[in-house]
This record gives sequence, structure tokens and C-alpha cells, in this order.
Amino acid sequence: MAEQSPAYGLFKVGDSPAGYSRAPSLGAWGLRLMAISYLTILIVIPLVVIHVQGLRFGLDTFWQSISRPEAVSALTLSLTTSLMMAAINTVMGTLTAYVLVHYKFPGKALFNTLVDLPFAIPTVVIGVMLVLLYGPQTIVGKFLQQEFNIRILFDTPGIVIALLLVGYPFVIRTVQPLLLQLDSNQTDVAQTMGASSWTTFRRVIFPTIRPAVVTGALLSFARSLGEFGSIIVVAGNIPMRSQTATVYVYTQVEAGNMQAASSISIVLLLIAFIATIGIDLLNWRRHARN
Amino acid sequence: MREIKPRSPLAFLLIGIAVLYAVILFIAPLVAIIYGAFKDGIDPIIETLTDPSVLHAFEVSLVLALGAVLINTIFGLVTAWVLVRQKFRGRGIFNTLIDIPFVFSPVIAGYAMIVLFGRGGWLAPPIFPIVFALPGILLAKTFVSLPFVAREVQPVLDSISPEPEDAAYTIGASRWATFRRVILPELWTALLYGIVLTFARAVGEFGAVSVVGGNIEGYTETATSFVFRALNDRNSTGAYVVSLILCLVSVLILFLMNLLRRRMVVSRG
Amino acid sequence: MSIEVLHVNKSFDTTPIVRDVSVKIETGELFVLLGASGSGKSTLLRLIAGLIELDSGTILLNDRDVTHLSPQQRGTGFVFQNYSLFRHMTVAQNIEFGLSIRKVKRLEREQRVNELLELIELQGYGNRYPAQLSGGQQQRVALARALAYQPNVLLLDEPFGALDVKIRVQLRQNLRAIQQRLGLTAILVTHDQEEAFDIADRIGIIDQGELLEVGAPDQLYRNPTHRFTATFLGTANLLDARRNGTNVYWGDVKIPAPANTEQFSGKPVEVLARPEEVALSCTRERAPGSIIGQGIVDSIAFAGPVLRVTVCLLSHDRKNLQVLLAPSDVRDQNIEVGQEVWVSLKEYHLLATNAE
Repeated sequence: MAEQSPAYGLFKVGDSPAGYSRAPSLGAWGLRLMAISYLTILIVIPLVVIHVQGLRFGLDTFWQSISRPEAVSALTLSLTTSLMMAAINTVMGTLTAYVLVHYKFPGKALFNTLVDLPFAIPTVVIGVMLVLLYGPQTIVGKFLQQEFNIRILFDTPGIVIALLLVGYPFVIRTVQPLLLQLDSNQTDVAQTMGASSWTTFRRVIFPTIRPAVVTGALLSFARSLGEFGSIIVVAGNIPMRSQTATVYVYTQVEAGNMQAASSISIVLLLIAFIATIGIDLLNWRRHARN
Repeated sequence: MREIKPRSPLAFLLIGIAVLYAVILFIAPLVAIIYGAFKDGIDPIIETLTDPSVLHAFEVSLVLALGAVLINTIFGLVTAWVLVRQKFRGRGIFNTLIDIPFVFSPVIAGYAMIVLFGRGGWLAPPIFPIVFALPGILLAKTFVSLPFVAREVQPVLDSISPEPEDAAYTIGASRWATFRRVILPELWTALLYGIVLTFARAVGEFGAVSVVGGNIEGYTETATSFVFRALNDRNSTGAYVVSLILCLVSVLILFLMNLLRRRMVVSRG
Repeated sequence: MSIEVLHVNKSFDTTPIVRDVSVKIETGELFVLLGASGSGKSTLLRLIAGLIELDSGTILLNDRDVTHLSPQQRGTGFVFQNYSLFRHMTVAQNIEFGLSIRKVKRLEREQRVNELLELIELQGYGNRYPAQLSGGQQQRVALARALAYQPNVLLLDEPFGALDVKIRVQLRQNLRAIQQRLGLTAILVTHDQEEAFDIADRIGIIDQGELLEVGAPDQLYRNPTHRFTATFLGTANLLDARRNGTNVYWGDVKIPAPANTEQFSGKPVEVLARPEEVALSCTRERAPGSIIGQGIVDSIAFAGPVLRVTVCLLSHDRKNLQVLLAPSDVRDQNIEVGQEVWVSLKEYHLLATNAE
């Protein structure tokens, strides 16, 4: 079902299309060739290139490259900030989707439209926006610095905020269609049986949307790991402090240090790949049950 | 789930939390950027917008994003068609591959292109340069925005019942005529939605573009890379003004997305 | 456990959906709310369950005012047309949901689930998921789920609407048996008059949000007070007439007025005759009951055990009457298409006309 699909069509199909097919004609072969070359040139070859580049001097070199302190620090920073983002946005995204589907309130249509804003705004611009809001010279930035001694920019909080923005729509847009589809008789029946709103949410609604929640969380997590534009603006490029894995790769590429760049890239891709597999498995299970 | 008017305190609390989160997270920064762009008056804005390198950056962003849209529309449609309608070994793998650009860090993608097409690269073309040139940027933009057309079209194509198509064949329509006159009309909204998403992603890309293009002022510099350079050059007003314009483009995109989503809901009943 | 609804009103936006409905359902009664789709019958049921808030009126469950209580506090059991089982729970988990909400101990829950599975004849299905069951089985589970926590009343919203005819008939007899065995007070909403006749103690006819009349099935069928009831329940032959003295007149026809119809004296009325109450005869002498004139047989259709005959009256603007005849009658009276026959009413009833 199209409506069950996660945000922006991503990961929506799984392997569901049963694909009724007619006898392959010459035209069909041509189309297939087009599709396969397109995906091969743009996706398969770059993937292969990175792996060959990173592993061509053997596993020892690869291991050395990723165990350098800067590399470890960058990877750790990326993972922790992305995990924090995913945790916060999973809760807030589920809550927002629930509010958007369940309640009528003035300005709701506008709110619903604005949910996609972080997707539509270039990430560099997101960075600029945050600099303007939280920079040391701004009201908010000064206040936080003086009152709480919190520095947002060039530090972990800035990265997390940037990622929260970038990852904002995903859980909402994945969960929303499932909530819309949810049979309201199910929640009604739970209520007549004496279930409170919270029990109804926990035992009836949440189990139904759980695959979507997890998909959205993984999607935003994978997206955050690769985030670059907003982070380099907000956090700069301070090794061992605010340098995330992608910024590290960028720096290594600029410095012509291809081995280091490739090795970290492989690790990042591996994590993203695991997240992707996770999403596919979830979708597959959902199809299997329906 | 049914939509209800909030009555309990809990309902108002939930709405409040959701709205507050959105306001703090992205409405406040949005206000900040409008303030930032206008705080030094109108002159720096005009100055920025008449700067030839800014105009060139916008041109590069726009034209190459449209190029990426064109490529991804044609190939995305074909790919969706092949994946839905044809059975072949490896179909599942190709199907999964489509999502990769989304989780693939754009910086890494850009880097892979340097390795491939850069000087001494595996596939470096002898005639014209790709890396640190416009074709590289086009390639980068195409890569990052690849999933959307295919992914929007695929489920719709999958849900179209075979009867109208079979009917068209029995009436004597050719395959192409059937596609154009029977199938395409069903796909339009999803296709347009995919195109809007593709454009949004392509025009806003920074990481891949700056790695492959090298941010050469007046040549491979895009609007987003201009923003980055302007920030580093302490030309903050320039950065803010161009950012604000990119924001306006985003709002336009948002409006289109919303319009198309409504149409999709209507047509799906 | 009685249910009492007093002057209940409900509008959506500005459209009234339920208008001033009052009815009392006695303990152990199976009450059927019968109406077309959009008549407001489901809304009334949801109002009783507390799933929708009413605009005005009172609802009493067992003489307790529950008007402003939440659905959780009312303790009703609700069964929906689309089963609405929790898809992520097994059959057993679905059934014990209400018990676990009430913090019933596990052993007791298990025992209760087993009892209910036996009651709905689905022993051994406890570990299946709803998707693995047929529609009829799912609806039985939905019923068990609603019964598990021994609700005050059972509310059923078109519970058999999504099922095949055969299963529908079987299930409603199961439901009736269970309801009687447990002495449950229940309201069932349906648009299917056959279903209503089959299981109801009393039927309430609802149209455009108004509860028109309430009565036992045969009483509503034989002697309705509203034209809507007459036409909604089965086929009705209606003839405009006027009651005067001890007779009912129309044109040059005069038939005796039925007993207890004095309140219509001197007023325009409609004569209601069900198809099985009309007789056709080849001669005047053989016609039973009150003769109303001659007609021409228009069509004869086979309808299983009976024949459905349409006859066109020679007087009365050539009005068509629907008649049900036994095949033996048709043979004895030589009834054929195009033949002239005498039309008489073996039984008939009067309805007030609300014309003018």
C-alpha cells in the first residue's frame, strides 16, 4: 500500500512488487539495460571504488587508518550525536505525528506543511540559521553562555541541534500515514473495555506503528551520520572536538590523504548499510504479516 | 485514526509540546535568518544580489539542479518501470540500491567521483574534465537526488491494475501509446512530487558538490558553496542574503510538495 | 442491567444526526435498532457507549446516570462491523485485553479466555493471530473480547454486515443463544430487517435520527403506526382511503374498519395489506375476506416456496398490488398473466396519513 510508505518514498517498496510481467521484448530489454546501467554507474561503481581504495593496502593499513585518535574521535562524535538525535526525534516525531493526526487545532495545516521545511532547506543554510540564532554575539547565544555556560557553536550541542533539524521530518513522515490508516474502531473498542488514553496508546496504537517508528529512527540516524553541510558551518572543523566523521573525510580528501578518507568512509557506509538492512527487514516483516 | 477537537489538558499539553518543539527547532532559526539578512539595511542586499559571482553561483545551482532533475526523471521512471514490471535475477538488490544515495554521505560520494574521474582516476575522461568542473557537479547532484523519482513512482505503478492497460491493448493501442495515454496520467502526481523532491535535494546539495567541484569562484561555485565561502571570508551579510533566498526557494518547494500531496490524497480516495 | 436513553440529541456541525430519542431497554432484552445507512443508528450506539459526547439528554445504565462518564467508566462491551481485533495480538491476548486492564490475575485470565473460546467454539485458536482467521471467526473473537470482562451491556454495530449470508445467519443464532444464556442486555444495530426479525425481542425503527416506533417484530410488521415502518419492513400495499362510521371507503369500495381504529374516524387513512394478506380469485364467490375490486394479472414470478404475483387494479388509477400466493392457489384459481381476477384482502390495517 502506497499509504504505508515511509518518508519521501524512501525504503517504501521493500521487495513487495509482485511484478506481473509480459514476455520480455526487445524494448523491455532496452529499458532493463538503461535501469541497470543507471544504478551501476551512479551507485555500484562509487561503492566499489571506495572499498577498493580503502582496502587496497590490506586490512592492517585499513585498521591503522581508522584507529588514529582523530579518526576514532570523529567516528565516536558522529555516532553519539546521531544517536542522541535519533532518540530525541523518535520521541518528538512520534508525538508530533500523533498530534497532527489526532487533534484539530488552528494552524494545523500550516504546521503540517512546515514539517518538510528542514528537508527542503539546504543543509548549509540550516547551519547559517543556527549560527545566527546561537552564535556568541546573538541574544540567545550570549544568554546561554553567560547563564548556563553552554556553548552551542563549535561544540557537541551545536552538532546535535543541527542534526535534530536535519532529521526532524523523518519519524513524523513515516509514522503519520500509519496513524492515518489506523482503524479508529480499535481505539474506540479499547476505550469501551476500560483502557485509558495512555494504555490505549501503549498497547493498541504503538504496536501498530512500531515498525514505522523504528524505520523513521533508522532513516534519520543514517541520514545524520552522513550529514555535512550544516555541521561544518555550525561546528567548524576542530579535530578531536567538533570534527565529525564526514567532516574528517572532507578534511582528508582536501589534504589528499585518500587512504584515511576511504577507510572512514567504509566504516560509515557499513553502519549506514546495517541501518538499511534493518529497515528492509522491518518492511519485509510487515509485508509478511499482512 | 479519527481527528478530534482537543478537550483534555493532556491533549493541549501534547499539542503545546509538538508546536513548541517545532518553533524552537526551526521557526526561531528561520526568524533569525530573516533578521540577519535585513539587519544592515537594504544596501548590502542589493550589493550581494548584483555581485556577478553570486549570480553565477545561482545560475550553476539552478541549471545543474534542473539537469539532475531531467536525468533522474527519465532514468528514475525507467528504473521504476523495470523494477515493478520485470522479473529478473538481482532485482531485489537493485531495488535496495536505490535508497543508498540517501544514506551515503554526500562527501563520500563526491570523494568517490574524484577517485573515479579525477586526474589519474580510473575513468578519467581524456577530452573534458569532470572533477573541479561543471560535469562533476551535475554528477554529484544527480547522485544525491537519485532515489526520489523512482521511489515515488514505484508504488503507484505497482498499484495500477492491469485491466485498463489490457483494455488499451485490445483496443489496439501500441505499448508506447498505452504508456503515454493510460499509465502516465495515473503517474503524474507522484512523478511531479518526485521531481519536486529531486529538485529540492539537488539544488541544496553542498558536501558532494564542494568536494567534486572544488568551489572555484565564478566557475564551479554553487549558491550553497557561496554561502560557505562568504561565511569564512567574513562576508556574513552576503551569506545571510543568499541563505535567505535559498530559504525562499525552499518555501516554494514546500508549497508545491503540499499541493501535490493533497492531490495524491484526493486521487487515492 | 437496563439501558435508558432520554431525549438524546446529537448534531455534527449543524446537521442533526440523532433527534430527541428516548427508549428504555429492559434487562436481558436484545433490542435491535433498525434503520437505513445514515439514519443515525450507529451514532446512537456510540452515544450510549460514550464514544461520542451528546449535545443534550440523559443516558442511564442500570439506573445510573452515565451521561458525562467516559467510555472507560461506562463498562459497555462493543462489537464493530469490521471486527476491529488488535492485529498485533493473538486471539487469547485480544480476549483478555479487558481483563488485563482490570488487573485480573493471570490464572483467572487464562481460565476466562478458555471459557470464552469454548463459548464461541474456537477452542485451540488462542495462539493464532487475527489475520489467520476467517471473517466469521474474527467476529466471534470480537464478541468474546467484548464479553470477557462481563460488561453491563453489549453494543453491537452491524456485527454481521461484512459476512457471507450463510455465516451471517449462523452467527446471529449463536449470538442470540449466548445472549439468552448469559442473560445479557444488548443493543444491535443493523439495516437488515430479516436479521432484526430473526433475533430481536423488540425492534426500534430509526429514520433520519428519529426513533419512529418500538415494538415486537410481528407487531411492527402487522400493525405499524408509521408509513416508513410499513414500507421499510417488508413489502407494503398501500391504498388511500377514509374511515367513516364502521367502514373504510375509497371510490365505490367499502370494507369494514378493523377493530380499535376509532381514532381514525372521519380521517383520511392508508390501508396497509401485506402481499400475503391479499387474495386473488377467479370468481367473486370464491374470494375470501373483503373484496376491493377486479384486476388484471400483470406478472407471475417464481420465488421459491411461493409465487410473487403483480396485479393491476382496474379502478384506483390502475394501481399495482404485490401478492404472494401458494402454487396450489395459482393452480386452483387458474391464475395466468393477462387474466382478470377478483382482488380481496384477507387482513388489513390502517395507517394515519400525514398528508395535508
